[in-house]
Amino acid sequence: MEENQKQSTEQPPESRFQVSRSTLLIDLWMGRIIRLGGISVVIAVFGMLGFLVSQIFPLFSKAKVESLAPVNFSQTGNVALGEDEYGEMPFTCDTKGNIIFRKAGDSSVTKTWLADFKTATQASDGQNAAPVSIPVTAIKTYPRDGLVLLGLADGSVRELKINYKITFDKNGKRELEPSIDLQYAGKISENNSAILEAWSVKGTEGRLYICRQQKDGHDLLTGRRLIERKGLGGKAKVTVSEPFPIAADVTDLERVLVPSTADSLLVIRKTGEVRVYQNSENTFSLLQSFKPFGDAKNAQIAAAGFIFGNVSVVFQGNQNEEVVWSLYPQKQADGQMLRRWGKIHDCETLAGVGQGIFPAAGNKCYLSVAGGRMQIRNMTNGSIRWEDSAPASPIQQVIFSRNYNRLSLLCEDGKVYRWAITDHHPEASWNTFFGKIWYEGAEGPAYTWQSSSGSDEFEAKYSLVPLIYGTVKGTFYALLFAIPIALLAAVYVSHFLRPEWKSVIKPMMEIMASLPSVVLGFLAGLWLAPLVDTHLIPILCVIGVLAPSALLAGYIWSKLPQPVRRRVGPGWEFAYLFPFIVLCAYGAWQLGPTIESTFFTVKDLASGQNISDFREWWRQSTGLNYDSRNSLVVGFVMGFAVIPIVFTIAEDALSNVPNSLISGSLALGASRWQTVWTVVVPTAVSGILSAVMIGFGRAVGETMIVVMATGNTAVMEANPFNGMRTLSANIAVELPEAAAGETHFRALFLGACCLFALTFIVNTFAETLRQRLRKRYKMN
Amino acid sequence: MATSSSDNSTPKGEPWVWFTSLGLIIGLTMVAGLLGLVLINGFSVFWAPEVPTVKLKDGTQIVGQFVQRRVRSNSPASDPHYERQYQIGLRELNSTSYVWVDELNIADEKFVPETLGLERMENGPAFIIPKTIVDSTGKQHPFIVPNATVDSAGKFHPIYTTAFSLIRAEVDQATYIRERVLDINQNKIGVVNAEMEEARIALRRAEDRQEPTVELTDKIKTLDAKFSELKKEAEEISKLTALGHIEGIDAKGRSVTIPFAGIVRAWEPNHMTTMDRISLMFSRMREFLLDAPREANTEGGLMPAIFGTLVMTVFMSLLVTPVGVIAAIYLKEYAKDGAVLRVVRICVNNLAGVPSIVFGVFGLGFFVYVLGGTIDQLFFSDQLKYNNNTPVFGTGGLLWCSLTLALMTLPVVIVATEEALSAVPRGMREASLAAGASKWQTIRDILLPASAPGILTGVILAMARGAGEVAPLMIVGVVKLAPTLPIDGLAPFLHLDRKFMHLGFHIYDLGFQSPDSDAARPMVFATTLLLIILVVCLNLGAITIRNRLRARFKGAAF
Repeated sequence: MEENQKQSTEQPPESRFQVSRSTLLIDLWMGRIIRLGGISVVIAVFGMLGFLVSQIFPLFSKAKVESLAPVNFSQTGNVALGEDEYGEMPFTCDTKGNIIFRKAGDSSVTKTWLADFKTATQASDGQNAAPVSIPVTAIKTYPRDGLVLLGLADGSVRELKINYKITFDKNGKRELEPSIDLQYAGKISENNSAILEAWSVKGTEGRLYICRQQKDGHDLLTGRRLIERKGLGGKAKVTVSEPFPIAADVTDLERVLVPSTADSLLVIRKTGEVRVYQNSENTFSLLQSFKPFGDAKNAQIAAAGFIFGNVSVVFQGNQNEEVVWSLYPQKQADGQMLRRWGKIHDCETLAGVGQGIFPAAGNKCYLSVAGGRMQIRNMTNGSIRWEDSAPASPIQQVIFSRNYNRLSLLCEDGKVYRWAITDHHPEASWNTFFGKIWYEGAEGPAYTWQSSSGSDEFEAKYSLVPLIYGTVKGTFYALLFAIPIALLAAVYVSHFLRPEWKSVIKPMMEIMASLPSVVLGFLAGLWLAPLVDTHLIPILCVIGVLAPSALLAGYIWSKLPQPVRRRVGPGWEFAYLFPFIVLCAYGAWQLGPTIESTFFTVKDLASGQNISDFREWWRQSTGLNYDSRNSLVVGFVMGFAVIPIVFTIAEDALSNVPNSLISGSLALGASRWQTVWTVVVPTAVSGILSAVMIGFGRAVGETMIVVMATGNTAVMEANPFNGMRTLSANIAVELPEAAAGETHFRALFLGACCLFALTFIVNTFAETLRQRLRKRYKMN
Repeated sequence: MATSSSDNSTPKGEPWVWFTSLGLIIGLTMVAGLLGLVLINGFSVFWAPEVPTVKLKDGTQIVGQFVQRRVRSNSPASDPHYERQYQIGLRELNSTSYVWVDELNIADEKFVPETLGLERMENGPAFIIPKTIVDSTGKQHPFIVPNATVDSAGKFHPIYTTAFSLIRAEVDQATYIRERVLDINQNKIGVVNAEMEEARIALRRAEDRQEPTVELTDKIKTLDAKFSELKKEAEEISKLTALGHIEGIDAKGRSVTIPFAGIVRAWEPNHMTTMDRISLMFSRMREFLLDAPREANTEGGLMPAIFGTLVMTVFMSLLVTPVGVIAAIYLKEYAKDGAVLRVVRICVNNLAGVPSIVFGVFGLGFFVYVLGGTIDQLFFSDQLKYNNNTPVFGTGGLLWCSLTLALMTLPVVIVATEEALSAVPRGMREASLAAGASKWQTIRDILLPASAPGILTGVILAMARGAGEVAPLMIVGVVKLAPTLPIDGLAPFLHLDRKFMHLGFHIYDLGFQSPDSDAARPMVFATTLLLIILVVCLNLGAITIRNRLRARFKGAAF
């Protein structure tokens, strides 16, 4: 610059008009930085939406299932399969009861165990006889418990326990060493004929063995219980119960389903009838019998299986149908509610005749094989997680790994086909979140939100519908209360109040808007709710009397002689109305108890006396619940949050109505009310609408007030004296406890997305309305 | 019609005008009522009223501070029965601090002048009739009531101030010692603990990598020794007050012994002058503002929560201001006007209307799990490995809370800045450009200074919103009791990864999660009062600045 000055005496050089390089550079770089910053902020804002959506995406994806190399158990005749926790060393049992372990990787044999059970050397008649091998006639594996149950031709069983000893070699690689121990050997039935099928389940009272034998041309079931009692010395004492017959009345036995709880038993007859026997002590008594596919002649059951949790059974018919029956409370003929079996789901039609139902180990999924296709289905929501064609040869046994990440199929051709499953959210589907679902143990299909329970077997219930209902309900009551007040105040402040008051009133409203919602929620829950609880009728009286008394005051005033009216300057009405309103409200408050005792007297059930209590009256006369933290309280307190916002925006819209319109109307002789009602309000109606919508958005998202001022129960009742659970409150209460990445966590994200979408759409709409309104005024 | 002004008719629709004023009346009453309610309840927490001795009809009596009166549930609305709640304290004897007494059961209520109120570290306050005072040397002093004179107005003028001043001196000494012990326990032992933690992690790492560990084990040993030394010192000091105690009887005639070591404050509720009460009130307020909470947050002070709120809010505004201002400058000065910009602007505006809880969900999902998890993987993998997988940034904390709230308040700052930039007269901008200033120079020297008050308003409003917000913070890192403050004397001084306490969450937690809701009630009201004062002051500040700004630009327009 100094240089420039020196040279300015002469002809100014070219550089005189040049901006210094550094200025240009700074300008360029600052421009770039600001652009970059600005654009990245905008991107971040949209990225937020993207992230929320990305979190809920996995919920709606199907299972990813990858086929693994099959393990080749070269010989055929394998009938049962078992495997270790990692699926690295499966074993099979052939028809002779021989057990062969193979490595999953290269199908090499690691261990072979040959079944060789001999008769006792001491025969019953006291003479020594050469031991004779007893052939194995029935084989069952319980992969989850590591058990193999063998039934023998002489009517006895052998229970084997498979243990895998895990060691790690120098490189940290896992090595498995299987071993087989005989856990139980003995007879279940007094009948010595060959065992056709055997079961072993651990109930609460001890292990229960059941076997199926043939006698007189029909199948016979016998049970025997092994009871372990801890003795005084800590030594377990095992006693064996007498054998007892099961379902002796059934002569056409087709199939038996034994739940792992051993508390009941389902016997399927060849006619397609299912008989349920309930266990108590050592007897199984008939509880119920039903026909899943109706009375038609061809309504046989093709396949059936218990689902994890043991309260639901999936049946496949031979008409391509699949149904789920479950145990739930039903009203009996005598009016009692008893847990009985009933149909809860009609599943999607199968590809052919049912060929098998194989449940997963830790959730409500099952493999449904039918007509050469196999599908992983979820029992709860009916979704099909995965589908493929079934292996050509018949399936002998299916194992789902405990954490539902592997599926192994033993087929008759001696191969174990294996798949790796990636399905983190089997319980999630569109139906789960927004549909009506009949959950286990429920009396009917319902929208339910119940995210956690003490038991693993519990079906998590993630219906967002009751939460959306609660949100809408809370918002409705809030708006019901806030909108009239806010709009009345906006009309009054914008056109009737003396302008100098505005600068006081508007900041007051802004302060109201800034009150932390936690404070409002606390006052609602701890101060207002108890007050409303004991003084509901007086409060309702006060609310009811406000509007008429204000109108009455206006009417009386308009009838007063003009000189009196002149003294009340326009714009001061509120100051004169205030004492009158207070007086009327006080009167109504005092009148409250009388009204309550006149109209709401009921007989107290506990004491038998007549009491005048609205709460009791409400419960008895409507049969609905009365909560002290109810929708009215929430509506009233949410008013604090909603009123100022609606007021500010509506007042803005009303004040912005061009003066020319108002002056014109007044000049034509309309009164100030006529001008406001017929000119101002219709002109500003879109602004008012946008104010209401923004108020709606605020009420929808309000969290702390709802958390603190309602009972947070997810019920769907329009009852105003009941609480609710809103989307936002639900997130605030449950998200801190939800494990990242789980279905519950993502379901809460879905709730957040719903909230986001709802408010964003409503606000955008309101904003567009408002801008259009502004544009119109500009034109004017 | 209204045209003929001479007659007595009123303009049409006047009753409706009155009707509309009802909205204003209700709105104003609601604001005033709420503020009044909080003010009265909040301040009365600090006030020490007279403490009655209540004789019940069954012959028993209680001494306690009156708390509230309410209609008994199940009592008929037409003829309500009331019950009163008293804070009787002495939880170790009474098993509860608060009792409800049916008004019909009260036979007599009188104010015994000797009643002594004691605020204690544990088990709630105590209201006793003192008999003997044992000072710290073990010497006994009787707490006698001398000839109390009664003046014409019927007021007591007892002369036993000597005994009470002894109590006060003993309480002061006990407090001093307690503070010294606390200093050792928290600060000195805290430093040792932090070093110990570091040494342990280092030891585990060294063991894992098979490096020499002698040095570390030695260090741990010296730290251990230091630790027990400090513990011993604290014990020695606390022994100094072990002897002193007050003996007295409670309302039911049981004798009570209360050591001075557990007394925070002593007062004589039934013969204090108003000045005494006011000074007691200030002493309680001081404790409320400057001390840490005790008794499951229901007593003591709020310092950590106040401090946490302030640090978080300030940190949040430091984050949001530059980002918001840059975004606004971009939108206003650089971005091309068009449909895209309009959409972006609407989206930014609408972000202000998105529920705060949604930001909390985003904060947890993205900041805590994605960002925090990545930071832990990259920079704290050692810490994760050798400290039982305890996450550092992969869990809620100050940084994530501030970031979440910064994102939430971003639209507030952007909108305010944009408005302030729009309000700068076109002439100023054009004059600057005409004088040869570059675009950036114009922004820096003309636009930003002119719009600074507007931006400040936006930032203050954002701070007010951030200070009062709870829902998102519950998810991303606020806790009910934090053992440490987010800023302290240990490097790196500002601990962004720490969880902290917050006034708003304190209200929620005390009001709704506290096991003893009666005991928590006064504290909740006091906290509410403080939070409201804070938020209202911030808002009033913003409003004042805005009004001044408006006036200035009004003047600037030709």
